[in-house]
Amino acid sequence: MNPVLLALIPLLPLFSAVLLMLFGLRLPRLAVGTLAVGAVAASTVATLLLWPAASGDGLLVVLYAWAAVTGLDLPLTLHFNPLSAPMTLMVTLVSTLIHLYAVAYMAKEEDVVRFFALLNLFVFAMLLIVLADSLLLVFIGWEGVGFCSYALIGFWYQEGKNADAGRKAFLVTRVGDVFFGIALLWLFALTGTLSISAINAQAVLLPAATVTAIGLLLLLGASGKSAQLPLMSWLADAMAGPTPVSALIHAATMVTAGVYLLCRFFPLISLSPTALLAIATVGGLTAFYAATCALAQREIKRVLAYSTMSQVGFMLLAVGAGSVGAAMFHLITHAFFKALLFMAAGVVIHLADGENDLFKLGGLSRKAPQVAILLVIGALCLAGVPLTGGFFSKDAILLAVGAHPETAYKILWLLGIISALLTAIYTFRLAYLVCAGPPRTAIGHVASPGLVAPLWPLALLGLLAGLLNLPPLLGGGERLMHFLGPYAGLQPEVSHLAEFGQWGLAALLVFVGWRIARSRWSKQPAAQEGARIDFFRSGWQIDTLIATVLLRPFSALCRFSSEKIDKVGIDGVIAGLAQCCRFGSSSVLRMATGRLSTAVTSMTVGVLLLMVWGLWTLLLR
Amino acid sequence: MIVPIGHVLLLALILLLLGIACVLARRTLIMMLIGVEIMINAAGLVAVAGSALHRQLDGQILAVFLMAMTAAEVAISLAMVVYLRRRKGTIIADAFDGMKG
Amino acid sequence: MATTLFYILALVAVISTLLCITRRNPVHAVIFLVHTLFALALIFYLLGAPLVAVWEVIIYAGAIMVLFMFIIMMLELAPTGAGEGIGGHHWLSVLLLSLAILGCSVGILTLDPGHSANLPDFYATPAQFGYALFHHYPLAVELVSFQLLFAAVGAFYVGRSTPTREGAP
Repeated sequence: MNPVLLALIPLLPLFSAVLLMLFGLRLPRLAVGTLAVGAVAASTVATLLLWPAASGDGLLVVLYAWAAVTGLDLPLTLHFNPLSAPMTLMVTLVSTLIHLYAVAYMAKEEDVVRFFALLNLFVFAMLLIVLADSLLLVFIGWEGVGFCSYALIGFWYQEGKNADAGRKAFLVTRVGDVFFGIALLWLFALTGTLSISAINAQAVLLPAATVTAIGLLLLLGASGKSAQLPLMSWLADAMAGPTPVSALIHAATMVTAGVYLLCRFFPLISLSPTALLAIATVGGLTAFYAATCALAQREIKRVLAYSTMSQVGFMLLAVGAGSVGAAMFHLITHAFFKALLFMAAGVVIHLADGENDLFKLGGLSRKAPQVAILLVIGALCLAGVPLTGGFFSKDAILLAVGAHPETAYKILWLLGIISALLTAIYTFRLAYLVCAGPPRTAIGHVASPGLVAPLWPLALLGLLAGLLNLPPLLGGGERLMHFLGPYAGLQPEVSHLAEFGQWGLAALLVFVGWRIARSRWSKQPAAQEGARIDFFRSGWQIDTLIATVLLRPFSALCRFSSEKIDKVGIDGVIAGLAQCCRFGSSSVLRMATGRLSTAVTSMTVGVLLLMVWGLWTLLLR
Repeated sequence: MIVPIGHVLLLALILLLLGIACVLARRTLIMMLIGVEIMINAAGLVAVAGSALHRQLDGQILAVFLMAMTAAEVAISLAMVVYLRRRKGTIIADAFDGMKG
Repeated sequence: MATTLFYILALVAVISTLLCITRRNPVHAVIFLVHTLFALALIFYLLGAPLVAVWEVIIYAGAIMVLFMFIIMMLELAPTGAGEGIGGHHWLSVLLLSLAILGCSVGILTLDPGHSANLPDFYATPAQFGYALFHHYPLAVELVSFQLLFAAVGAFYVGRSTPTREGAP
C-alpha cells in the first residue's frame, strides 16, 4: 500500500498532464480545471496519508530497475524521509491552492489546456526533485522544471518579450545545470552509485579537496535554479509569465529546489568548511543585492521577484551556517507568504485592469478591503513582524549565522541584519503604495471569489507557521527540528540572552523599517528618478554587464568566425582551389588554338626533347 | 668507297631540318606542302644510302615507293588546298581555326 | 672524283633548299625545289641507284612539281604568296629550334660507332632492280596502284566545283 502511495504522489500530476495534452482540447473547460486541481489535490492527500512512514529512515521505493548489470546498479528510487516529507507536503499543498487560484485567474484565457498541462507537468518534475533518491531522477526533475518554467514564463509567447524572458530563464539556469551535471558525473565516478543516501554515507571516504570542489559545483548548480549570484538575472524578467506561474514556480517551488538540493547533500558538503562558507557568502551577498534592487523597483511583481531572491539568499545563508533546519523552516514559511503575496498582487493587477506600476496604484484598502487585508498579512510575514511565521524563521537563520564561531560569519550576520532592515523597508513601501491613499488608477469590479478564496488558507498558514518550530523560550517544542532529526544539520548553541537580543533587534528593525516607509511613501509621492535609482532598478546593471562581458565578445567571435574564418578562410580555400583549377584549365586551353602551326610546332619541340633525351642516354653510356 | 655513311646521313639531316623549318615558319598551305616534299626527299636519300651501305636493293625500292606515295598524297593535298581556298578565300593556315578551344 | 662530286652536289642541294624556303613567290620556291631534286637525283646515281635517280627527275620533278605549278597558277597565288616571306613569322625561334635539333642529331650521329663506315662500291642495274621489285614486293606494287586510284578519285571529289552553294562538299 505505502509504496504505491509514494509512487502515486509524483505520478498523479504526470497522468493528469498527459491526459490534458492528449485529450484536453476535447474536454469542456470545467473538466480541464477539475482534472488539474484534482490531480494535485490527490497528491496532497496521498502525502498526508503517507506521513507516518516518514519518520526514522523513511520509506525507500524502487520505481524501476533502470540499469542492473554486474558492476552497475542504478535503480530509480524514491525516498520519503523526514527531509523530503515536509517539502512534499508544502509543494503539493501550495500547488493545490495555486491551481484553484489559476482556474479563476485564467477564466478568460483561451489556451487554458496548455497552461494546466504544463503546470501539472511542472508539479510532477518538482516532486521528482523532492522525492527522488536516485540522482538520475533528480536530474530529470531538474531539467523538467527548467523546461516547464521556460514554457510557462513564455506562455503568452505571441509577445516577443515574453518569449525572450522564457529563453533567458532557460539559458541562465542551463549554465547552472552544467555544473550540476558535472558534479553528478563526478560523484558517480567516485562512488559508483547515483543514490543520494549512499553517496552521503560514503562522503567521509572522499578526499577533502574533492568534497570542496563538488560542493562548489553543487552550489553553482543550485544558484542557477534558485536565482542566486552569479546566475540571478533571469528571475526579474520571469515575471512576464502569468501570476499563478510566478506564485508557484518563482516563489514556492523551483527557486527553492536549489536550496533543497544542498540540504539533501548536507552530509557531503558539511565535510568542507570552505564549501559551506562559499554557500553562506553567496546567500548573504544575494540577500543584500536583491534587497537593494527590490527597493528601487516600480512594478509590483518585480519587487516580489527580488524579494524572493533575497529570501532564498537567507535560506542559503542558513545552509552555509550549518543549520538545515532553519533553512527548511524559512523555506516553508516563505512559500506560504510569498505565494500569498504573489497571488494578492495578481488580484490587484486584475482589479486595476492590468496596471502594475506601484506609483499608479493605491487606495486598495478603501476599494477592495479583503484583498488589502490579505496583502498586508503577507507583507507582515515578509517583513518579519514579531510572532508571524516569517519572524521566527528569519530569526532562526540569523541566530544560526551569528552563533557560528568564524569571523567571516559575523560579517555575513551583519549583512543579514542590513538585508532584513531593507526587507522591512521595501515591504512596507509596497504595502503603503498599493493600499494607502486615494486610488490613482480606478480599482474596478469586485474580485471573483474564486480568486480570493484560496488566499485565506495561505494567509492563515503564513501567520501561524511559527507554531511549526516554536523555540523553547516561548514554550514551543521546536517540532520541525525534532522531526528532521539527523537531517537538521548543526544545531548551534545559543544562550537565552543572545536569543532575546536577536528578537529585540529584529523587532527594532521592523519598527524602523515601518517608520521609514511610512514617512516616505504613505502620502503617495511620485516615483524617484535618476541614475542612482536606475542602477538599482536594473539590478545593478547586471544585464549590461553580462552583455558587455559575455555576449559582445561572443558575438564578435561568432562574427569573426563567420566572416573571416568561414567566408574568407574556408570558402576562400575552396574557391581558391576552384580558381586554381580554372586557371590551370584556361592555361591549357590556350594551347588548343585550332591552328595548324601550333600543332606542328608542338610536335617539333617534342621531337627535340626526344632527341635530347636520346643524346643524354647515349652520353651516359 | 666514296663517302662515309655519316656524311650522307648528315646531308639528309640538314635537308630534313630545312623542310621542318619551312613547315614551321611559312604561313601558307602551299609552302607547308613544299616543306613536306623536302622532308620526304630527305627520307628517300636516307633509304638509298642505306641500300648502298648494305649492298641490298630494298632501300631503293623504298625510295621508289615513297615517290609513288608522294604523288598520290600531293594530288589529294592540292585538291584540298583548292577546296579550302574556295571555302575561305585565303590559304593562310592560321585562318582555319575551327577547332579552337 | 666521285667524292668531290658528292660534296659539290650536297652543297648545291642545301643552298638550293635554303633559297627555296625563303622565297616570297611560290613559283620561285618551286623552281628552287626542282634544283634540289636534280642535285638529289645525281647523288642517287653516285650512290648506285640509277633507276631511282631517273625516276626522281621524271616523277618528282616532272610530275609532282608541275602539279604544284598548276595549282599555284590556278589559284593565282603568285607573285605575292599571300604577303609574307621568311621574315614574317617567328623565324628566329624556328631557326633556334632547328639548330637545336641539328645539334642533338649530330651528337647522336657521331656517337654511333658505325657512322664512319665508308660506302662500298655499289651499282644496281635496272634488271636487278626490276627483279628485286617484282620478286620480293609484288603485293606492294599492287597496293601502290590501288593507292594511286584512290588518290585520283579523292582528288576528283574534293576538288569538284559545287555551283549552287558554298559549304559542305
